[in-house]
Amino acid sequence: MLTITDLSLTEAKVPHLSGLTASFQPGTLTTILGRTGAGKTSLMRAIAGLLIPDSGRIALAGSDWTRLPPWKRPVAMVTQQFINYPHLNVRDNVAFPLVRAGVAKPEAAAKADAALTRVGLSSMMDRRPSELSGGQQQRVAIARALVKKAPVLLLDEPFVNLDYKLREAFREDLVELLATETGTTVLYASTEPREALQMGDQIILMAEGRIVQSGQPRTVFAAPASLTAAQVINDPPINPIPFRQTSVADFGALGQHPFRLPPGAYTLGLRAADIHPGGPHQAEVTLTEVTGSETITHLRLSGQHLVMQEKSVVPRTPGDRLGVSLDLGAGLVFGADGARKEI
Amino acid sequence: MYRQKYLFLLPGLLVLVAIILFPLLFTIRVSFSSWDVYNPGLNWVGGENYGRLWEDARYWEALLRLTGLTVGTVLLQYTLGFALALLVWREVVARRLFRVLFLIPMMTTPVVMSVLWRTIFHESLGPLNPILEGIGIGAVPWLSQSTWSFIAVMIVEIWQWTPFMFLLLLAGLLSLPNEPFLAAKIDGAGPIRTFLSVTFPMLGAISVGAILIRLIEASKIMETVYVLTSGGPGTSTETSSYYIYIRGMRDFQIGYSAALSLTYLIIMIVTLTIVAKLLVRALVRDQA
Repeated sequence: MLTITDLSLTEAKVPHLSGLTASFQPGTLTTILGRTGAGKTSLMRAIAGLLIPDSGRIALAGSDWTRLPPWKRPVAMVTQQFINYPHLNVRDNVAFPLVRAGVAKPEAAAKADAALTRVGLSSMMDRRPSELSGGQQQRVAIARALVKKAPVLLLDEPFVNLDYKLREAFREDLVELLATETGTTVLYASTEPREALQMGDQIILMAEGRIVQSGQPRTVFAAPASLTAAQVINDPPINPIPFRQTSVADFGALGQHPFRLPPGAYTLGLRAADIHPGGPHQAEVTLTEVTGSETITHLRLSGQHLVMQEKSVVPRTPGDRLGVSLDLGAGLVFGADGARKEI
Repeated sequence: MYRQKYLFLLPGLLVLVAIILFPLLFTIRVSFSSWDVYNPGLNWVGGENYGRLWEDARYWEALLRLTGLTVGTVLLQYTLGFALALLVWREVVARRLFRVLFLIPMMTTPVVMSVLWRTIFHESLGPLNPILEGIGIGAVPWLSQSTWSFIAVMIVEIWQWTPFMFLLLLAGLLSLPNEPFLAAKIDGAGPIRTFLSVTFPMLGAISVGAILIRLIEASKIMETVYVLTSGGPGTSTETSSYYIYIRGMRDFQIGYSAALSLTYLIIMIVTLTIVAKLLVRALVRDQA
């Protein structure tokens, strides 16, 4: 089991990780979800040994790794950039970690060939990385990581620099590939909640160098522990709508709702899918994004910026007036401290 | 009309003929003459000068000496230059200062630098021997004994031209992408293995260029030998260029020195072409 205990890391006086504690079971895929700058890459690099933490401990099966140089750690890693050796051909790129580990060259080459066949590059083994497309280069990096058979596999947003279609295809391929890697602890960093919800056995939400929540993806999605967690795991982003609770929840111009809560100030986290077109509230369209078969509409309503999600393609232009309804009862309620309240 | 385009080539061709072809063709003609201090002019003597050259043991010894000197100094310059470049490549305290300091020898004039080194090597007045005596090594006959004179010439050459290697290799190192080094760490390569498997091969093309430039330059060594040892003691530090200079400018055997020069030129062109091909094959090879 890979464990990190109270891990803190500062770079150029900026804290990147603050007191992280987590454990990762062998044979599981954990998705680390967070926005850019949340500390995902720092965590990955600290585990790989590329960054040295200020304090805390990293251990695999009880063996302390914290001060171990990266080349002595049984870790494989795929990064956002398509990192390969430009002076080696594809086969030698993949065989590189095996040769370094003392595997005989013919055996290493055979294993590299097998790994390249698995990632669909059997016809390109003699080419240089510069002769491949971005997607193919990343497949080479993935093959190199898989061939090492390391007990810990770190995937740091491996598909972020690929186009949308390719990303979808790669994600499916990767899930199939990882299914055969029994006993490997896989950490997959992502900024995309959908990806995280699809892939992981476990999910860890990170924000500002801290773990804000962890657990099974569906559980975390259904019941985020805090407003920060809800913001991290929702895409499109959750709409934070402040309200004051008296005998009922008073949303001002947006109406009232009969929540049973102690009096005070709260924030309602309303998912974009819980705002619907056609309703009593007149909103102004500020931006429309069509992603695949969905439409994300950014609205201004009573001085509040809201995001609405529709499962269809609807042409709208900024400045349009649109009647909307808000399903306030479907929202999540967070207290002044940010923690979610049961309603 | 269409042929007029060739007129535009004429100025370039004239310059080429004037500065390259004419001197070369004239030298070839002179090499077949007996032009010397008693007999100036292009008196045709056929291949007499080349026959004499073939039997001139001093010329071939100078060429052999030059080969040793060139290969030895360039290899050491490359090794030291690479080491220095690696030293100041990454985060080192005051690395900018070191980078400038390492370049100073290259900026000095070879003649001036040779005079300084002759003073340093001076066996009774120079500062080097007292230092060597002080640390228990004892005085060295730097300029009066054959082997030590040769070593002295090598030291000065290495001292002056290592910065050139340093400069080119440092530029090469600074232009390398960081990602392969990151990958090498993850893939289990320690610092030495990373150097052998990543840094060195990735600098293959620059290494070949730097070595070839220095081989060409080092094979023309003249000023250092002239000022430091004058080819002595005896002929122990005499190189091809210096010998050709003696025959041509001191003995004024113009016809013979032209034959020496042309032979030297052909040998250099053939040798350096072969060396270039071997270096490219060894250092910029396809690693498939």
